[in-house]
Amino acid sequence: MLQQLFMQSLNGLGVAGILVIAAAGLAIIFGVAGVINMAHGQFIMVGAYVAAYVDSQGGSMFLAIPLAFIVVAILGLVVERGVIQWIYDRPLETLLATWGVGIIIEVIMKFIFGTLGQKVGWPDLLDGSIKIFARPPHFPYYRVFHVALAIAIMAVTFYIIYRTNFGLKVRAVRRNRSMAGCLGIDTAKIDMLIFMYGSGLAGIAGAVIAPIKAATIDMGFSYAVSSYMVIVLGGVGNLLGIPTGSFLIGEGETLLAFRYNTVIGQLLVFLAIVIAIRVFPRGIFGYQERR
Amino acid sequence: MAINLAGGGATVRKVRRARLIPLWALILGALVMALIGTSPHYAGTDSYVVGLIGKFLCFAIFALSVDLIWGFAGILSLGQAVYFGIGAYMVALSMKLNYTLENATRYGGNIPDFMEWNGLTEVPGFMAPLLSTPVAVALALAIPTLLAFIFGVITFKRHIYGVYCAVITLAEALILERFIVEYQAYTGGFNGITDYSNLRGAPFLWVIIAVTVVCFLGARVLTHSRIGTVLKSIRDNDVRAEFMGYNVANYRIFVFCISAFMAAGAGAMYAAWVGIVSFLDTGPLLSVEAVIWTAVGGRATIIGPFIGAFLIRGLEFVLSGLDIELAGRSIAEYWQIFMGALFIAVVLWIPDGIVGTIGNWVRKRGTGTLGQIREDQDRLAHDRQHDWDPAGATKPGEERV
Repeated sequence: MLQQLFMQSLNGLGVAGILVIAAAGLAIIFGVAGVINMAHGQFIMVGAYVAAYVDSQGGSMFLAIPLAFIVVAILGLVVERGVIQWIYDRPLETLLATWGVGIIIEVIMKFIFGTLGQKVGWPDLLDGSIKIFARPPHFPYYRVFHVALAIAIMAVTFYIIYRTNFGLKVRAVRRNRSMAGCLGIDTAKIDMLIFMYGSGLAGIAGAVIAPIKAATIDMGFSYAVSSYMVIVLGGVGNLLGIPTGSFLIGEGETLLAFRYNTVIGQLLVFLAIVIAIRVFPRGIFGYQERR
Repeated sequence: MAINLAGGGATVRKVRRARLIPLWALILGALVMALIGTSPHYAGTDSYVVGLIGKFLCFAIFALSVDLIWGFAGILSLGQAVYFGIGAYMVALSMKLNYTLENATRYGGNIPDFMEWNGLTEVPGFMAPLLSTPVAVALALAIPTLLAFIFGVITFKRHIYGVYCAVITLAEALILERFIVEYQAYTGGFNGITDYSNLRGAPFLWVIIAVTVVCFLGARVLTHSRIGTVLKSIRDNDVRAEFMGYNVANYRIFVFCISAFMAAGAGAMYAAWVGIVSFLDTGPLLSVEAVIWTAVGGRATIIGPFIGAFLIRGLEFVLSGLDIELAGRSIAEYWQIFMGALFIAVVLWIPDGIVGTIGNWVRKRGTGTLGQIREDQDRLAHDRQHDWDPAGATKPGEERV
């Protein structure tokens, strides 16, 4: 029993890893530009289909990840330039417009790939598991991979935001947009680049989710909603909010799903989040009472 | 006692209260309602169109409930279908239970078929109150309102609204949808609740019309009252409303509960009229669709949601009946793309919706010559620039995210 609990909490860590990858892009966009991208789930889905396409052409997973990043970042660029750049000052309506974008992406993908799901294989390297205990369940390598990739993505993001010239501008825009504009920073360009980067991360999320779930048209939505919850719980005041929120939600859902079932797990975690935001209205790492 | 705030000028602007309903609207509305209400007599009770009309009216009330919170109070809920769905499920369960008491299922049981498939032998105790119709209707209205109240107390009291609120309500809807699919022994799961004797035909259509009119009037009274004025001020600038001494959270909770009540009523009638309720009626998709009906019709207008719901739903119906092919696919398959484009278009180009845009146009025509209008607009833009910042004035040391 204890052994199973331990394995489940390790699995929860893997789930949290996926959540970090899926939520990081969303949180950065929300943190800097103040908009939530309702098409995030569809961006994840596009990333998964890129992985499926690479797989069907005989390419490796490790080729699919950067390709998914590039493809979805370009998609994000199109969406940002086409729709979102006009409505940054109306965050609620951005939700509606991006929801529409999501619908359109979904239909186009359905037209291209059909409604059937596409299987994606793991590279041989990740086929196997760490045998912590003699008896199964073992801890599969791909979970390790998810956690490692999540850490890598957070590290890269941290480096970009806190250690580069570009990141300095991003933080300036985020602190005080009009002042940053006065100092000659092209805020629209910062928004655009951040949106591209965040979208690209969604693509990576899709590419690594695809092998465990198969690429389907509606796969992204539940990850997107979990990512929104990560933002609500973790907050966007600080980059640490993403891993914290993901860890709590991933572990909570996995352990409760193990104890009861998936739906009860999600329900209880949701209730816990709703109660938690009474204590942390802007998330655990949010600005206090920032308006 | 009139206090001259303008200072110097002799005239004090009189505030003219809008009449409850303008006469022309009353006549037009009565005509439309009579046309709809008598439709079973000339179109046939079982005709598809009559069925659609009752359905659309329920959707219109639902959209009105979204309009009340979004258009008038600035709370965007992407999970309003939760309240609609709970109302619908309560009534549908009640009707199904009563139906199976009299009509045995194929396997001879007197419990709903989905319970039978899942190995239940009798109606679970907690569902017994639903056997009585008045209790079921009361629960269908009370539970969503109570839920909305609890939700409102938790979030609005802690200044959680805007994007956060939208995202949380969205998750709420998704989880309820999954819950219903998972606990299929009690909810019918993926198939939903079907096969019960739904109320079809003229008498119940009149009930729906009556409720529609009551909701319409109620919304009109509410939004033209003092409360409505405060709500609009909260929508436009909640910080200032708070400075004026209004308890913003309580106003938000109040309108959220009213809206949930309305949505639950719409759902209850929907279940009774249509005769099938499924998990889709509680999910995020329907919620967002209701928001877009409101947006297309015209937010912050009361007739807008009606027009939006009828227009979009009607268009969908007409398109799905057409047998035209476009690039090898039937035209109905493009409906989703059209909807997506509509979401974007309504946000980018017609944020006031159909009714709002027409209203603006009429108002402009009424104000005078083109030059005067342009002058007015310039002044308005100038005022806005200096006076109105949706995020509220930024204080020193504060960051805008």
